[in-house]
Amino acid sequence: MLLVGAGALVATGAIVGTTLLLSGALSTNATKQHFRVTHRVLDLGLEYSVRAAADDVPAPALGLPGMRARGAACYREHCVTCHGAPGVAPDSFALGMLPVPGNLAHSAAAHPPEWLYHVTRKGVRMTGMPAWEYRLSDQSLWSVVAFLEMLPVLDVDSYRALMATTVDASCESRVTLPLHTEGADVLLRQYACHSCHQIESVVGPRVYTGPPLIDWSKRAYIAGVLPNTEENLARWIMDPPAISPQTLMPDLGVPPEHARAMAVFLLTPR
Amino acid sequence: MSKSISLRLTLGLLALGMVGCKEARTPGVVVVNGDPERGRREIARLQCGACHAVPGVRAARGSVGPPLEGFARRVYLAGKWPNQPRYLEPWLRDPPAMAPLTAMPALVSDEQSARDIAAYLYTLE
Repeated sequence: MLLVGAGALVATGAIVGTTLLLSGALSTNATKQHFRVTHRVLDLGLEYSVRAAADDVPAPALGLPGMRARGAACYREHCVTCHGAPGVAPDSFALGMLPVPGNLAHSAAAHPPEWLYHVTRKGVRMTGMPAWEYRLSDQSLWSVVAFLEMLPVLDVDSYRALMATTVDASCESRVTLPLHTEGADVLLRQYACHSCHQIESVVGPRVYTGPPLIDWSKRAYIAGVLPNTEENLARWIMDPPAISPQTLMPDLGVPPEHARAMAVFLLTPR
Repeated sequence: MSKSISLRLTLGLLALGMVGCKEARTPGVVVVNGDPERGRREIARLQCGACHAVPGVRAARGSVGPPLEGFARRVYLAGKWPNQPRYLEPWLRDPPAMAPLTAMPALVSDEQSARDIAAYLYTLE
């Protein structure tokens, strides 16, 4: 009896949910606010998810001037666009994002460095915050945290002064992705291959911009011009316009070891 | 609940019955004077299926070139041009004339065949 009741409840829920979804009543417009409760629940989810994961990596010493300078360079290059800074507004487009990019002076005041490091490194789903571990070296990630730690105590003048004294500092980007710990499908996602191609084992939109790469190992030609070998595929991935000048597939700046790993992955039948 | 919301909910309930039937926007390319059925037969006769998997054409399961499933949804043709009849028809007539390095040979001998084949390909959603 209880089982029947529970089953009926689940079925009703599924029908109501699907009806809502298909009716278009659930807006995906970025102009609509979340319900307050939705926002709180998502905030709590982020808080506890990061708290549970962040304990693993203890923070190094963050007070070194070189570290802060590098962090300032990274912040200027990658963060201020969306998050702003003391006395500095984010870029116009970022003001309209939903959820709004967090103010990091607040984040830094409210959370320990390990928390900041984790969010910066791993990103946050469905917020527009990418996982910076694929773009910045680990040294740079901690440098950003070192910089963030200073934000709550900077006023407009001291922020300006700090940025002026660090103009020569440079942010160190990551040169190799952590391939040994994760599969080549991570590469396909981090180069956003699935924004134009349908790929087995990469979850993405049902997109037809480029040809679907399903059963790629069986395909004889790449872009209709190159025999589909591992070496050719890696060459193609690295610089498509060099091989086929009019191709709409851009040069994504893929280094040889990444191209090779993706070629092997695509050519492995599954 | 506003009238439009309740209307939407009703439509949603109706839509429940047809989940997965049709997407909201179906690509609406119309090939003027093209006969899709003749095009389908031309594809079979010219053995396009030796290189391409073509839905609706028997034994067309080749994997030399890309599969033509969902062709009407493809944004680009041969990775180079917008997927429109004004590019597709000359492409079918003479691919190497448009892309000298392409592995695809010129097999379609007349304009009408190219038009019919294009008409068929744009039925593939």
